[in-house]
Amino acid sequence: MEAYLTKEVVLRTHGLSKKFGKRWAAKDLNLEVYRGDVFCFLGPNGAGKSTTIRMILTLLTPSAGSIEIFGMDLHKHRRAVLSRVCGIVEKADFYLYLSAYKNLEILGSMTRRVQKEEIMEALGMVGLTSRAFEKVKTFSHGMKQRLGIAQALLTKPQLIILDEPTTGLDPQGMKEVRGLIKELASERGITIFLSSHLLSEVELVATRMAVINRGELIAQGFVSDLLDKEPMEYSIQVSPLDSAVELLAKLTWVEILAAEGDKIELRVEPGHASELNRFLVSNHIEVLSFYPHRTLEDFFLKITKGTSEI
Amino acid sequence: MKLFWFETYKILSRWRTYISFGFIALIVIMTEVVMKLSAHEILSRMMRSFQKDFLIFGNVLNGWFITAFIMNSLHIHIPFFITLVAGDIVSNEATSGTVRLLLIRPPSRSKIITAKYLTTLFYTTGLVIFLGLICISLGLLLFGNGDLIMNYTTKFHLVFIPEAEVPLRMLLAFAAAVWSMTVVASLAFLFSTLAENSIGPIIGTMAVVIVFLVVGNFPFDFFRMLSPYLFTTYMVFWQRFLDDPIPWQEIVKSAVILGLHNIGLFLIAFSVFNRKDITS
Repeated sequence: MEAYLTKEVVLRTHGLSKKFGKRWAAKDLNLEVYRGDVFCFLGPNGAGKSTTIRMILTLLTPSAGSIEIFGMDLHKHRRAVLSRVCGIVEKADFYLYLSAYKNLEILGSMTRRVQKEEIMEALGMVGLTSRAFEKVKTFSHGMKQRLGIAQALLTKPQLIILDEPTTGLDPQGMKEVRGLIKELASERGITIFLSSHLLSEVELVATRMAVINRGELIAQGFVSDLLDKEPMEYSIQVSPLDSAVELLAKLTWVEILAAEGDKIELRVEPGHASELNRFLVSNHIEVLSFYPHRTLEDFFLKITKGTSEI
Repeated sequence: MKLFWFETYKILSRWRTYISFGFIALIVIMTEVVMKLSAHEILSRMMRSFQKDFLIFGNVLNGWFITAFIMNSLHIHIPFFITLVAGDIVSNEATSGTVRLLLIRPPSRSKIITAKYLTTLFYTTGLVIFLGLICISLGLLLFGNGDLIMNYTTKFHLVFIPEAEVPLRMLLAFAAAVWSMTVVASLAFLFSTLAENSIGPIIGTMAVVIVFLVVGNFPFDFFRMLSPYLFTTYMVFWQRFLDDPIPWQEIVKSAVILGLHNIGLFLIAFSVFNRKDITS
């Protein structure tokens, strides 16, 4: 996925802020998205993710700051910038009384002339070819979301901005959308900027991330750097338990938090997760399950040193 | 042009667009059939007031007269049908969430709002032309041709327009009616840019039209004083094309005032839409 990742900045915000009444929905945001990034904008609900995305897509006028995309000031070169950008804000809404094909034709043609083959190809990419000429009002939420991605792809953008693209999808739908995002970045070299409130999603798809809470940027960088900075907690199911506890107690990079039944809760220093598994197996401990405990709440508390409220 | 076509395609793809055309057809057909069935009674009532002073021959209750009669309903039900689309054309995008898809495209908001406004005017024009065509064609079919006699009770005079001159006069009257109705469309369009659902703009526009009509017609000095400031006062200027002689000065004045209303209302809508934060 990182094959296309360069240090060329595709999107940069300078002190981007938005105030609604007396409340700052976004405050002094300085973001940098590189070409080829799958950049995830992470934050809890109401953190200011959608507000920021709306400013980037010109739906909201910033109260302060500026946005630079492809090296051009967004507000001075709106048309040139937006002809290379596409996105979905919140959920994909379409003209329900028109067919999927007609929706794409209208929306796509607002950016550039689109051919019938291109529309069918975009629909094919999201598996909607057979429903192309059916009215969108007959589509499920997942299908509309996929159609949203099809419309984003239709104009062959260089930057796609997706606001919580997996919200409301079933597990299979979420998996498909994530797969598509990875594919767009790795095979087509498209830069993806997506927002999410799911930490697991970030780990699965993103190369770089920014964390926002209450409108303020808390952290920004490579996912691997940010997530591996702090010790990680795991829950492991092992047999026999006593031997495992005895062995683990000898390791300096492991702290046992609890051991009960056949489960052990433990904290592991960054970069030792695979080593832990190997260690147990090589010492004839059967590892029945091994999964990390990392919630957005934990992560926030860790990166804000417990000073932030979500 | 492309944006205008897309907007037109969108309104033509919605069933609510055809409600207006359907109801107009129904109202005109019903009115003309009932008038045909009651032709004798209508004619005697018409002639009662001036049969002592005039000898009138020929087909008085003809298609042109029926058309002029029905056109008087313009300021009541046609505005409502106009608001169904004009009040919905922007607000519906907010309600359905499609405004977000629309405004992240390269065309500027100015172009999008202008295309929507032109589409609204196109629909309004189409609706009034449809009314004219159905009134005249059915009227001529059921009642035949003839001179047009207009009885202006407020001015206490009768106007006779020769049969040969009536089509041109009617054409001008319908053009004026289109112009009048564009003000209603502009008002509904402005409300549509302010609202995020279509009910508000429809009710708001109709409330303004009805209140202005009522206020403008109250027979008290205070309300008469207000009358020149109400756009509804000028909306009936189409009738002046069926007067003799045609009061061009009054027509031009009304047309200019209504035109200024159109420009003003559109500029406000344009400004609101361009500055609007899309939070829906």
